[in-house]
Amino acid sequence: MSLFLQELVVGISTGAIYALIALGYTMVYGIIELINFAHGDIFMIGSLISIVILDLLGITTTSQPTGFTLLAVMLAACLGSIVLCAILGMVIERVAYRPLRNAPRLAPLISAIGVSLILEDIGKLWKGVNNVPFPQIFPQITYNIGPVNISGVNILVLVVAVVLMVALQWFVTSTRTGRAMRAVAQDREAAALMGVNVDRVISITFLIGAGLAGAAGFVYGLQYGSTIFSLGLPIGLVAFTAAVLGGIGNIVGAMLGGLLIGLIDALSTLIPDTVLPHGGTPWHNAIIFAILILILIFRPSGLLGQHTPEKV
Amino acid sequence: MSTLISPHVLLAVRDNRQLLLKWIVALLVPLAVFTFLWNGEAMANQVLLGLFVGVSTSFDTITLIFAAIFVVVFYAVIITLSGYLVAADSGQRSVVDLWLDVLVYILVPLFLVIGTGLIIGLALAALVWAIYLYVRSRVFTKRTIKSGAMLSELAVLAEEQRGELMRRAVLGGFWFATAFAVVSLVLDLIFYVVGQLPDILLVWVVLRTILLPIVGYFLGYVGGLAAVRRTIAAKTNGNGRGVTNVSKKRRLEVLSTARALEEAKDLVPNDLPLSSTGAQRFYLLLLTAFILFYPFIDPFLFGPGTGGRLAGYGDAGYYVILALGLNIVVGFAGLLDLGYVAFFAIGSYTWAIFGSTQWGLLTGLTIPLNTIGWYFWPMLLVTALVAAFFGLLLGAPTLRLRGDYLAIVTLGFGEIVPVIFLELDQYTNGANGIVGVQSPHLFGVDWSGFTPGPYYYLIVVLIVLVIFANIRLRDSRLGRAWVAIREDEIAAASSGVNLVNTKLLAFAAGAFFSGIAGAYHSAKLGSITPDSFSFGDSVIYLAMVVIGGIGSIPGVIVGALTVYAINQFILAQLDTLAADPASFLHAVSAAIVQVFPGFTFGNVRNLVFGVILVIVMIFRPEGFIPSARRKRELRRKEEEGPEVGSLDVVPGAPGFESEMRIE
Repeated sequence: MSLFLQELVVGISTGAIYALIALGYTMVYGIIELINFAHGDIFMIGSLISIVILDLLGITTTSQPTGFTLLAVMLAACLGSIVLCAILGMVIERVAYRPLRNAPRLAPLISAIGVSLILEDIGKLWKGVNNVPFPQIFPQITYNIGPVNISGVNILVLVVAVVLMVALQWFVTSTRTGRAMRAVAQDREAAALMGVNVDRVISITFLIGAGLAGAAGFVYGLQYGSTIFSLGLPIGLVAFTAAVLGGIGNIVGAMLGGLLIGLIDALSTLIPDTVLPHGGTPWHNAIIFAILILILIFRPSGLLGQHTPEKV
Repeated sequence: MSTLISPHVLLAVRDNRQLLLKWIVALLVPLAVFTFLWNGEAMANQVLLGLFVGVSTSFDTITLIFAAIFVVVFYAVIITLSGYLVAADSGQRSVVDLWLDVLVYILVPLFLVIGTGLIIGLALAALVWAIYLYVRSRVFTKRTIKSGAMLSELAVLAEEQRGELMRRAVLGGFWFATAFAVVSLVLDLIFYVVGQLPDILLVWVVLRTILLPIVGYFLGYVGGLAAVRRTIAAKTNGNGRGVTNVSKKRRLEVLSTARALEEAKDLVPNDLPLSSTGAQRFYLLLLTAFILFYPFIDPFLFGPGTGGRLAGYGDAGYYVILALGLNIVVGFAGLLDLGYVAFFAIGSYTWAIFGSTQWGLLTGLTIPLNTIGWYFWPMLLVTALVAAFFGLLLGAPTLRLRGDYLAIVTLGFGEIVPVIFLELDQYTNGANGIVGVQSPHLFGVDWSGFTPGPYYYLIVVLIVLVIFANIRLRDSRLGRAWVAIREDEIAAASSGVNLVNTKLLAFAAGAFFSGIAGAYHSAKLGSITPDSFSFGDSVIYLAMVVIGGIGSIPGVIVGALTVYAINQFILAQLDTLAADPASFLHAVSAAIVQVFPGFTFGNVRNLVFGVILVIVMIFRPEGFIPSARRKRELRRKEEEGPEVGSLDVVPGAPGFESEMRIE
């Protein structure tokens, strides 16, 4: 039971990271119906950027800043990663997707796959093919609640994720730009007729989505202590699954989906050898996708996705 | 000579002279390049020396005989084609336009193939074509071009006009052959003077110079018959009472008016004879001869190393089958499949398990290894059916899903299947994979790894079968149902298309072909591991389909070969090239190493591939060869304005808001 609760904590923390990435998928999909395969690699680039910023600030894997320095360093790395990733996302949209706005449906998808390959190799050229250590600057505090250990990093990850998600939810529901985004997502032509600058809104969507991926890259590094150039695709696929699970295009759905996928991911390690050969760990992706397929059979539009009437 | 040829052959009418010059230059230049700059003449000479003079060459008799057959077929078809083209040309398109086309579509690929080898050359040529088409479309939008008058009806050529066509064809064939004979004569004499031509071959030079014009006369006549035969087909269609060409007529009857007009343009002399269906028959003939005799002419054209090249083409071949299979799901039925590799894996493992000792270990039914190869042939079908069954299995839960929800389920399936093969190691031997997979057996054929010839012919036969099946499927009732659900599911369902069966059959048909590819793959490779089936592979297959031209069978084949060539040949060989001080890449890589120490092209393979993907998509989003149907759709979309939903509902009426929708 204590193992179960322990994995629950891990799952919530992992799920928060998945949710942050899933938000980018779901926002982009909601607005231009594109599976942005490059998104996972933006997340990877974000984690590398965080390392470089920490490096520039003189933080090595052994240094332990405290107090105000710690806060400043973390803010700098996190914000730097967010800002640079956001710019990267916007540039990618401008270069690789905007020329294909009116092209056949699969053309942007292939373009996105191309961008994903490019980013992956840039990561490889930049930091090499091996695991890159991420400085563990956050103090290693562990809270014991009964039999369960909750580390400080877990709490931090959750806090960052929740703050960003609340901010995003507020932005989308309560600001003028957010309203424009929802309008474009609903009906691009009609929004354009109402005076919404569609190109700008799409740019902003990419900006926000990529920024969230940048933040996810930072907290991922804090939680797992290392990153690697090939991280983007596997994590991106799982995050995209989370977005679909929650109902793609739906922001709250992406959060819920991310959390669920994180939990499934963590709990699948508890499956013993007797149920699946070699235990649950090597099967975790298969289990995630199997559960996704099961859920989609019963709710074809995801958990929170509305069943939109067919356009004829 | 004049006794053989009637006077009007020598006295060309003024109008025809220009036409003759246009086509003779257009065809002669590539042919001369092939013959003299490349190894066309060398091949013919070797054949003559080896077969008739008895000089021992480095090739065995069988190779020489087949090479001889190829040479004869090749030159005969080209001369006949010249007759056909002169007859079928309406003469409206300018000479410069045609020569530019010939330069880009024939000469450039020829030089690239000579310089870099077959697959790389063709892939580079495809890139050149893409750039050319893009620039061309840009130039043409700037410059308004008056297009030739559209055919207003399916006019029938009178007897007199057909006689004129025949006359032109004969002229074309005769003068083209004569010009080629003269050019060859001059060049051979030069070769003789510099001492590169054995004396004995002078007999052949003289014989050829006399024979070619005569042969040209008759082959031109044949070409003319081909051209006129197509105009007769127009008559059949126009009057509806032909006896010879019923199938063509019936086909036209069931087609839409738009497509019928398009077809009709091909039945009478037209502005683009190079791309007419008549000329395509000739290309098909050339292509068939080339593919059929390829293992025998390869050593003449590309020098030593035939075995390795054939093995490479065998690998490229199963990508073609995979791309064609995926094209059914994605291109015809419009269902995005991101996990196609799963079916390929299932197909590969089915033969791998059956065709190795693994089968005996699992079931206790031991089949002697020396007979197991015979089971390959029935198992090819079984493998395909097993894959198709899993296609149905995947299709079943996805029926209610739309668009990209479907994509993620297929993606999930593609992720689950390799994990299953990896982790169920008591059946599949886990990460070590299955080794010792047997080759097929056939009487008198040596399937060992040293002679890739049999695998080459096997994949050619398989590809031909798959292409045939694809064309039949596309034009069948089922194929039209797939297109219908691709375009509009609701409209299709309302028209009586059974959505459930149609979608399931699309998945099953797509998986069926990947099963064939899988069986071939594991038999050729001899071993199989689960890590050769990843999401990246599914993505590559999808890129092949989209880059080639989604839904278009020739496009998908070109796309598969191009992507395979870029990925496996060009990008894999960049490092080898960079190591060679003579190539320009040497300097480039040296400059990069200054900035990034330890740089190799192997490290940026994906980057280069990604850049190519993005660029191709931006400049040619519809793919290299878009399907005819899609082209028509795009054209119609440009002509129509935005469609405004029913305006007859009065504002304020119930239903008004919901009806006003501009799509």
